[in-house]
Formats: sequence, structure tokens, C-alpha cells
Amino acid sequence: MKVEIVEWHAFSTWHWDIPGTGYEDELCGICRVSFDGTCPNCKYPGDGCPIVLGLGCSHNFHLHCIMKWLEQDTSKGLCPMCRQIFLFKEGTFGAEDGKKLQRLVDGHKATRERGPNESDQEFEAFDGQQVE
Amino acid sequence: MSTPAKRRLMRDFKRMQQDAPSGVSASPLPDNVMSWNAVIIGPADTPFEDGTFRLILQFDEQYPNKPPTVKFISEMFHPNVYASGELCLDILQNRWSPTYDVSSILTSIQSLLNDPNILSPANVEAANLYKDHRSQYVKRVRETVENSWNEDDLDDDLDDDDIDED
Ligand SMILES: [Zn+2]
Ligand SMILES: [Zn+2]
Ligand SMILES: [Zn+2]
Repeated sequence: MKVEIVEWHAFSTWHWDIPGTGYEDELCGICRVSFDGTCPNCKYPGDGCPIVLGLGCSHNFHLHCIMKWLEQDTSKGLCPMCRQIFLFKEGTFGAEDGKKLQRLVDGHKATRERGPNESDQEFEAFDGQQVE
Repeated sequence: MSTPAKRRLMRDFKRMQQDAPSGVSASPLPDNVMSWNAVIIGPADTPFEDGTFRLILQFDEQYPNKPPTVKFISEMFHPNVYASGELCLDILQNRWSPTYDVSSILTSIQSLLNDPNILSPANVEAANLYKDHRSQYVKRVRETVENSWNEDDLDDDLDDDDIDED
């Protein structure tokens, strides 16, 4: 049998090296791609598409995925998985990205401090009451 | 052209094919991954039992950061479904999260069927009958169940396992 190489792709594997997170087996809850792959907006995994580790909770996301969510007013700054206020650990992404992310988190904090808006309260009642 | 929303929807589709929750099925239109047809089978031991309720889900490029528009195309009699077929369901409005996918949306709607929220009724008549005249409510729901079986004029795309009858 004769084998002819028509095309050849260089291939290598790599992993994030962040101790003690267990992120390796995890999928990003937003785009459902593993953290060793990129978010849907990126082509190359690694530094260009970093991970954000939750601080108040243990939920992790691609930086680009969580940013897109936090850019929505409707996110109210909450973690998409557990609905606690989303806070993040420093150090898995660059300073520029950190600033952008912090600005989004702060924006939601300011909105919360202006007081709850009516539609929120309505929906809390909607959830909290028991139907007999 | 592939976009983040489309790529995510293809993942949703894969999940529906590999591990669909019982009693729900859904697939995108052959030429448009942003529009889906879905069927929810009414859960056993409820007035909705065995109904085959059809829905359409319409996604936009903001998905999954924004929820899809979901609408029943089958006739429904339910406190949280408007005459237009649109639903009043918190996770499709301000409790939406980008962690939801087609599978979890349909499962939530399925459980809403027998667990209506009568505090914010979209169909006041259904809510009132549910509260005060349960047997009449059940009767009206059963009518919609029977009608759901007679929707053969709608497309049959979702019945991919055809049963051969001799
Ligand atoms: Zn992601
Ligand atoms: Zn990315
Ligand atoms: Zn969380």
C-alpha cells in the first residue's frame, strides 16, 4: 500500500497550569467548550482566550464568555451558574482584561446600590410564594 | 457563516441528539439553525398526559446571553400561556442565564405544564378554573390534548422514528 501525504498539520497539546482548580475536566458553563479549547469568539486557545475563576463561588468561565454576559444589564452582575454576585480571582489574565472585567463588576454593584428596581421585586414575589 | 450563537446552537443540538431529556424533542430547521421546532409530550399523571405540544424557538445572535423567543404553536389551555402561544416563564424573561440550553429550556416548560404559577396569569380563565373549578380545568386541558393529536397538517419533521403500521 502506498501512502501519499496530501496535507500535514502541525499539532500539539497543552493545558492551563493553574494549581488546585480542577478546571481541566470542566466545561465553560456558557459556551460548553472545555477550558483547553477556545470560547466561540477565538481561534487560538491559551493566553489569547484566558479563564476567569470565580472568587465567591467555584464557577469558572472563559474570560470572553463571562464578559459578554456581564455586559448585559439583565445579568445583574450574577454568576450564570449559581446567581450569586460574580466576583473573580486575579492572575489568570492580563491587567487590561482585569480592568475591563472589574469595570463591569463595579457597574452592576453601582446599579444594585441604587436600590432594587420594581420588576425585580415583582419577580422575587413570583418565585417566593407558594401556590396552594 | 458560523457565529458564536450558531456554534453554541450546534452544541445544543448535539446534546439533544445524544442525551435528550424524556418527553421532549427539538431540532433546528434544515436551512436555519436559529429557528427550531420542538415537541413536548405532556407528562404522565397530569391532565396534559400524552399531549404532543409543538413549539417554535427563535434565537438571535445574542444567544446565549439573551433567551430565545419561545412560542407554542399547538393550542394550549394553561394559566401561563397567552392566546398567542407565548409563555410567561421567569427563566425566559428576567431569570434567564446563559447556562440554559435548548434541553433545559424545554424541560422547564415541561414541568411548568403541571405546575402553573397562578399569581401572574397569562390566561385568566385558565387560572381561575385551575383555582376554583379543577374538574372543568382538566376537561379544557384534555380538549387541547386531543386537538394536539390532530395536527397532522403541520410538518412532520420531528417524527423521525416512523412507526410502521401493517
Ligand atoms: Zn466559554
Ligand atoms: Zn475567547
Ligand atoms: Zn457561581
